[in-house]
Amino acid sequence: MLQVSSKFGKKERLFGYSLVLPYLAYTAIFWGYPFVWMVVLAFTKWNYFSKPKFIGLQNFLRILTDSTVLRIALNTLNFLAYLIPMVLTASLLFALALTKVRFGKTFIMLSFLVANVSSGVAYSLLFSNLFSINGPINRLLDDLFGITIPWFSNPQLAVFSICLIITWKFIGYYGLILYAGLLSIPQSLYEAAELDGATKSQIFWKITLPLLNPSLITVTVLAVMLTFGIFTEPYLITGGGPMQRTITFLIYMYDTAFKRIDPSYATTVAIVTALVSYLLVMLIRKFFEKEVSFV
Amino acid sequence: MKRIFVLFLIAVLSLVSFAVKLTFWTAPNAFQEEFWKTVVAQWNKMRPDIQIEVQTIPAAGSSEEAILSAIAAGNAPDFSENIFSGFAAQLAEIGAIYPLDNFGTDFQRLVEARKMKNIMETWKIKGKYYVFPIYSNPMIFWWRGDILKSLGYNEPPQTYGEIYELSKKFADGKKKFTMQVISGRNWWDRWFDFITYYYAATGGKPYIDVEKRKVNFGDETGKAIVQFIYTMFQNKWTAVELGTNPFYNGTILAKITGPWEVNWAKETFPKVVPNIWFSAPPVPDNYPKDKPIYTFADTKGLVIYSTCKDKRAAFEFISWVFSNVQNDVLWIEKTQMPPAREDLTTNPAFAKFMNDKFFKAYASFVPYAVPPALTDKTIDIQQSMTTNLIEPLMYLKGKPEDILNKAVKEINKLLF
Repeated sequence: MLQVSSKFGKKERLFGYSLVLPYLAYTAIFWGYPFVWMVVLAFTKWNYFSKPKFIGLQNFLRILTDSTVLRIALNTLNFLAYLIPMVLTASLLFALALTKVRFGKTFIMLSFLVANVSSGVAYSLLFSNLFSINGPINRLLDDLFGITIPWFSNPQLAVFSICLIITWKFIGYYGLILYAGLLSIPQSLYEAAELDGATKSQIFWKITLPLLNPSLITVTVLAVMLTFGIFTEPYLITGGGPMQRTITFLIYMYDTAFKRIDPSYATTVAIVTALVSYLLVMLIRKFFEKEVSFV
Repeated sequence: MKRIFVLFLIAVLSLVSFAVKLTFWTAPNAFQEEFWKTVVAQWNKMRPDIQIEVQTIPAAGSSEEAILSAIAAGNAPDFSENIFSGFAAQLAEIGAIYPLDNFGTDFQRLVEARKMKNIMETWKIKGKYYVFPIYSNPMIFWWRGDILKSLGYNEPPQTYGEIYELSKKFADGKKKFTMQVISGRNWWDRWFDFITYYYAATGGKPYIDVEKRKVNFGDETGKAIVQFIYTMFQNKWTAVELGTNPFYNGTILAKITGPWEVNWAKETFPKVVPNIWFSAPPVPDNYPKDKPIYTFADTKGLVIYSTCKDKRAAFEFISWVFSNVQNDVLWIEKTQMPPAREDLTTNPAFAKFMNDKFFKAYASFVPYAVPPALTDKTIDIQQSMTTNLIEPLMYLKGKPEDILNKAVKEINKLLF
């Protein structure tokens, strides 16, 4: 230790600390303090006004008997079942299409990214009107085929419709990750495969898809984390209904903290949700992630 | 002269710089905002020592969420309006609001001046008055008189049976529906459908027994109401989604609403407004014809927060506004909503409003309008009503009676 410190003069050390200090201060205020407060809340009962009262593991035990938490866990699985295939297929198609485009590639990429940066509230209201029972989509369907689709009032269709909106939002972002993955696959592999007489479908399933694994896993992990964090769309469009089928962990946390005035339990739900999503991500990586090397 | 002017200027400046500055949040409603901005401007001119700043409750899912978020963040206003009784009970429970009884005789004098002694009794939370009620909106049904006339009606149908008869003549289950039976999926929508129907069918009986902490609506009347809702959805005489402005574009014949919609409707749909008829909420076929029909009162009030910088100053302002009957006259002119006072039909100051068919209709229901249950579990109860009662009825999931029984069981669990 003495040797290390003697290497630097007082001035240099001061300079070093001054570089590190802003980061440490930032972390302490915006990460450390909320983290400590979160731990305190999880083991206490607090209602914004009174002093937190220690209640041990009661908040965690309450989760085990909370039927709404079970409902939300099932809803999250339902969202995952729609969202993962939808978002993977759509962004993969977008990425593949992008490799074929010769002109205006940047413009197309930016156009798709606009959805990703637009306001959640704004597009939720837009889709809500677009898909409403007498909205333009249903009017068109009614004129053409004489049917209307209850996009947000049928429990399964509501989950599907919300996934459709989220896919629309993330297709550009995830598509770019996959596009970068596609570009990193050496062209020589495709040439060799063609010389060996491989068909296009064989090339896709045996070369492109396996070598795209790191990008696909990245997108899957991001989409899983996204699913656990769905809030704006169901909150504004369906309010968690119909039949509680679109209520998510985040909606429950928000309602518990700000409608039921129970921030302690809301924090506990947040901790458990974070742990479950982390566990799921680890499982996905363990079972589906493959080592890819182009050497 | 110059010296006097300078002294006067110093006095005014010191008054303004040492003035109490209070923040007052008002309902996010343009007409109410207009009222408050007018009276606050008068007050600020008159009292440089107590300056009030009017702000609209920030946009959020509901006023309650915005206020709770502000309390949690330590940014609560000094006092605010748009507080319903259940929310006040919740705020009182956590000690976030200040009891008005603490102002002693000044408070009693204000209650007497505004003729609201009996009304105040319905707002008592754990023996104290935390809320100063501003208005009481009876919920009534608006009907498309023009369409009803073309179907051969001279007055709107009133009983479930009469509504079924009308539905057979009008609704096609695709583009035409009889009425909006369910108001929405938010917790507060239950005030405007099931709870209103229950008040109507029982002569204003409470739907929750707050003291015994149990549900009252699991009775025969409750069964009749769920059967009505179920029948309307089963026959496609109403729908889960009715689209935008269904009443005004003729998709439905009737909807329940409060007086807050009057000014907006007059401005937006001037051709429809003259043809609107009014009725009480629907009742079972065996409801006595000579008995008045009760309805739900959407009533909101004003509270002073515990964190208020100067509670006495806030009360002085409230007292100044509501001890002057002319401010209630201005309130009606701006908002069309009946003030929470007992002399609406007898005080000559309000006589001129009786010529307006909307105000007259709403004012006539004030004596039969019942406020919601004073429970701090309002949101949980009504969210459970949405999930366990209204949604299963809307989606026809099970027999109406079974749905009702399950909902009663679930809500009793919450109350226990």
